[in-house]
Amino acid sequence: MSSASIRAAIHTLLAGVFAALLSGCDPRRFPGSTFAPRSDMAHWVEAVYFEVIGWDGLILILICVLVFLCLTRFSTRASEDQPKPPPPHPEYLGLEVAWTVGPALILLFIAVPSLRIVFRTQQSAPPTNALIINVTAHQWWWQFDYPSMGIHTANEVHIPVDRPVRFLLNSTDVIHSFWIPAMGGKRDVVPGHVNELTFTPQVTGEYIGECAEFCGLSHANMRFRVFVQSRVAFDDWRANQAGGPRLPTGGPARAGEQVYVTSACTTCHAIAGYSSGYIGPNLTHFASRTTFAGSTLRNTPQNLAAWLENPQALKPGAQMPALGLRGTELNDLVAYLESLK
Amino acid sequence: MVALPKEITVEESYLEGGGLWGWLTTTDHKRIGVLYGLTTLVFLLIGGIEALLMRIQLARPDNTFLSAHLYNEMFTMHGTTMIFLVVMPVGLGFFANFIVPLQIGARDVAFPRLNALSYWIFLFGALVLNAGWLANVAPNAGWFGYANLTESYYSPGLNIDFWTLGLLISGVGSVMAAVNLLATVINMRAPGMTFMRMPLFVWSVMVMFVLILVAFPPLTVGLIFLMMDRFFGTHFYRAVAGATPLLWQHLFWLFGHPEVYIMVLPAFGIMSEIVPTFSRKPLYGYPVMAYSTALIGFLSYGVWAHHMFAVGMGPVADSAFALTSMLIAIPTGIKIFSWIATMWGGDLKMKTPFLFALAFLIQFTMGGLSGVMHAQPPIDLQQTDSYFVVAHFHYVLFGGAAFALLGGLYYWWPKVTGRLLDERLGRWNFWTIVIGFNLTFFPMHIMGAEGMPRRVYRYPGDMGLNSLNMLSTIGAFLMAFSVLILLINIYKTRRRGAVAGPDPWDGRTLEWSIPSPPPAYNFKNIPLVRARDAFWREKYGYEQPPTAAPAPAAAQAVEHIHMPPPSLYPILIAAGITMTGIGFMLWPRIVVTGLVLTVFSAIAMAFEYPEAGAESEASIGPATGLDTRKVGIWCFIGSESLFFASLIATYMIYKGRDLVGPTAETILNVPLTTTTTFVLLMSSLTMVLAQDAYRRTDRTWGLRWLFVTIVLGLIFLGGQVYEFASFYHEGLTLQTNLFGETFYTMVGFHGAHVAIGVIVLAVLAGASLAGWFKVRNRDVAVEAAALYWHFVDIVWVVIFSVVYLMRAIAKA
Amino acid sequence: MTSQAETAGGVGPQHQSRTLAYLVVAGLLAILTAMEVWASYIHALRPILVPLLVVLSGAKFALVVLFYMHLHYDSWTFSAIFLPALLIAVIVVISLVALMVRFFAGF
Repeated sequence: MSSASIRAAIHTLLAGVFAALLSGCDPRRFPGSTFAPRSDMAHWVEAVYFEVIGWDGLILILICVLVFLCLTRFSTRASEDQPKPPPPHPEYLGLEVAWTVGPALILLFIAVPSLRIVFRTQQSAPPTNALIINVTAHQWWWQFDYPSMGIHTANEVHIPVDRPVRFLLNSTDVIHSFWIPAMGGKRDVVPGHVNELTFTPQVTGEYIGECAEFCGLSHANMRFRVFVQSRVAFDDWRANQAGGPRLPTGGPARAGEQVYVTSACTTCHAIAGYSSGYIGPNLTHFASRTTFAGSTLRNTPQNLAAWLENPQALKPGAQMPALGLRGTELNDLVAYLESLK
Repeated sequence: MVALPKEITVEESYLEGGGLWGWLTTTDHKRIGVLYGLTTLVFLLIGGIEALLMRIQLARPDNTFLSAHLYNEMFTMHGTTMIFLVVMPVGLGFFANFIVPLQIGARDVAFPRLNALSYWIFLFGALVLNAGWLANVAPNAGWFGYANLTESYYSPGLNIDFWTLGLLISGVGSVMAAVNLLATVINMRAPGMTFMRMPLFVWSVMVMFVLILVAFPPLTVGLIFLMMDRFFGTHFYRAVAGATPLLWQHLFWLFGHPEVYIMVLPAFGIMSEIVPTFSRKPLYGYPVMAYSTALIGFLSYGVWAHHMFAVGMGPVADSAFALTSMLIAIPTGIKIFSWIATMWGGDLKMKTPFLFALAFLIQFTMGGLSGVMHAQPPIDLQQTDSYFVVAHFHYVLFGGAAFALLGGLYYWWPKVTGRLLDERLGRWNFWTIVIGFNLTFFPMHIMGAEGMPRRVYRYPGDMGLNSLNMLSTIGAFLMAFSVLILLINIYKTRRRGAVAGPDPWDGRTLEWSIPSPPPAYNFKNIPLVRARDAFWREKYGYEQPPTAAPAPAAAQAVEHIHMPPPSLYPILIAAGITMTGIGFMLWPRIVVTGLVLTVFSAIAMAFEYPEAGAESEASIGPATGLDTRKVGIWCFIGSESLFFASLIATYMIYKGRDLVGPTAETILNVPLTTTTTFVLLMSSLTMVLAQDAYRRTDRTWGLRWLFVTIVLGLIFLGGQVYEFASFYHEGLTLQTNLFGETFYTMVGFHGAHVAIGVIVLAVLAGASLAGWFKVRNRDVAVEAAALYWHFVDIVWVVIFSVVYLMRAIAKA
Repeated sequence: MTSQAETAGGVGPQHQSRTLAYLVVAGLLAILTAMEVWASYIHALRPILVPLLVVLSGAKFALVVLFYMHLHYDSWTFSAIFLPALLIAVIVVISLVALMVRFFAGF
């Protein structure tokens, strides 16, 4: 009975592995999948991944089969359960050598391609045409600066397809980790040390990014989004971002502009031409982003109003204080911010 | 000293008599083992409840069952509890403590009162760790508490202080227990029990003891730095001062990876007992198994940075640690294959312990194989800090370690209590926990691969993680149900279970040759061991006729069995240490009380039984002829080497990174220190002369040299006080720069060791004046103190070179 | 019992000669220390100071361990306890310093 159950359990496990591998490659169901590579680095990593999974699978099956054979061939029935003298035990040197050398060879097969990727992904001289983006991690949001383009944004990063991108990672407070599963691997963001992550995105689309290193109260709310765009779309985005903020046209937005410049917002936030705070995200093109608050909230007027009323309720520990704005003031400010395309 | 009557008629079990007072003052390794067992059971339930609360929170996306704050406390305390208060102490304190003396044919451990002290310190440390719950300030930075999140700027409040202090205190208990048990294995083996005849369980835990000794000091040093940052404003992990938070990661994982093997090695040992017993076949490849155990222990110390592939150490370091990490798979594979080869051709008895062993084989292999995955840095970049890693280490530590430990519990329960656990409930327990385990943790592999980071209190509903998480939560409750079955089994069979008799499993090792539960003195006659699987061979005959003559001891009538006397001092010392720590953290005024209590209880314990002379005979190892006290002090010195190595490494790492002066080159006073160095070196000469005199029983000269040594030690300390004071006047404080903090910390800890040495020597001098050394063989106390003194001396030789003589050497 | 006590305590005929050995070791320790300090002041020795000090301090370390701590006279068991720990301590210092120096230099 027990051996049959063990066999059934093994079957279930193996079926689970295969099912996961197959469905896991579907980025629509699993937008955070590590098995849907969309960059050169992610493809290299996946190649090593599959190689190791193959060897691992073989070894696991071998051991399961051996245990299963032991159980079917050498089990004692309960009636024969009396004390019995131990048999003599022959030991074979060949067997010992085999199970030492065999695994060693397998590990060698794994190590060679794996270490080649280690060096390929950490080259000291990155490609010359790489787009450099400075990433600054904060508790709990991501700041993205494009030094060559004068672009400052937060929580959503746009990159052109088929061009190497080099993220230079720094932290203003604690250790974070910069992870875009579809792009192949994470890098820790360590205060006092600039780390880097270089890859070439190959497929346009919207991807999930996350902080992977526990960084305090709202670690779970420190996400970001990556938009890999065609050359044309990226240039459009870039032209818009590099310019100044839109001037408010409508009534509420214009009133909201006044609320912004007279409120405490200006201490921490920057809108080009209005304020230059750097504690919080740059808001110059706030409305061009699809999400905010560590990319945890859709950028809608309702969400923004709720956020402005009580940031801590939506993101525990958020450093932004509740400003006590109510009624029209609040709605005007929302209108203004949502006009900053 | 309990002198038993000449005719031993009543085989009184160790469990009987003494009442509550008896348990508080016990020094019996079996009772202490039971105390450890009960404590870990309680913490298993606490840690399990924490896990269930987390699983409820994660059952649905964006759930609000727990706040972010509570969730962070839950996962921190779940990890810390399960690792430090459950798996490690159950291996070290319960299994090793209870079983090792029985398997090597000893009446108790090497230092019974130290054993009690280890337990009480562990218990108080565990209570401190959990004390934060009382005010909802439980630790909340994860079980590896990465700096600089743990610095007071980012974690104000007492949360981290409870964590640091609790780990420091319980760590002291672990190191003491390891010193004690390592000395036991080395020196208390029965005659004929050579290393190559030891049961493999003893081999495995012996390697574990060594790992505890070398792995805990880096953690201790890391925690001390953290405390100093939090309390005294130093900058050990602060990038602004030129330091780096990565130092914590190195120190922590230098401990943390061996810790994994500290938890798994007892499980390996239990496997090597259960598999042969229930296969009715000797263990396949005994020597290779023993050597691979030692090799695993050694390699486990050289792989720590594979936890840090993502921090940017560079491709060369990444590759080196990837290779060492993969190497560990080889001896581990040898063990798996040898267990299977043991079963092959055997006669398998499908009892509950064996079922757990089978589950271990499959689940641990799965955990090991996913480990081979993230030994590859490229794969690790995808897997680390994701739920895949959570799945991996639960397969290793739950499906691996905990399953084997459960098997061990069913296996040795009859020896501990005298009654068998129920087989039918055991099977229920087994199947529910195996299914629940896989249901909980297998989906976590997929969650990680689908991009779920670990330690998130919520996840969005559109990532495809919802059903996987729900499945995992269901599995967790199935496991909780299984633990309930185990508790029912324990409760039911405690009074009414089948009486086990001495040998319910047809056992192979010595513990099955004595009654269950064992009498307080374990063995009426210390057995003579003539082969591997000693008891089995005695029952069924030898493969080859034994070379040694039959045991003459068996025929001899036993007149006296000296058992360790009970003592109240262990619990007092532990209370003193805890008071000091708590005072340091909360109420400075009780620090002095705590220190005084600690020191006086320690001294009182040392001279507790002045009439006992027989200890000198009891302290000679029957198989080695060595004095156990010397073995113990050498084990301690081995551990101390790593403590100072960590301090010295930190000094060298931060050398030359100061942002402001004064630095080593400008401030050090070499002529003065050369003088004090010379004084300390000469104190070693006088120390060795004192020890020599005591060995010749020339107590007059011994006392004289002892006094000279004390005076020289005081001169050295005086020089150091003068040096510190003058540096302080020149503007070098603990907070000035990296040189200041590393220098004061390292040299200060060395000075504290000298000061403790002076106190010990002063106590010995007092004892000498009181005539304590008139009893034969007590001079070994002076030798032990001398070994410690010389060790402190050679540490200074190194510090003097590194700090003073290399003052002007800049790093390349 | 006598034989055991002798093994443990090491009381034997070779005993008398040890005092002389202890004094010689003390002399060597003093000389080596003097050499170390002298070497640290000579500017010309700066390039080879680290290996020189490793040798000289290592010699002092070994003298104390072998003679004052009796590893030279005592059972191999004590060496078997101490030397692996010492080896690991040395490996830890070297590898930690190497790793962190490379890290600070930006490898």
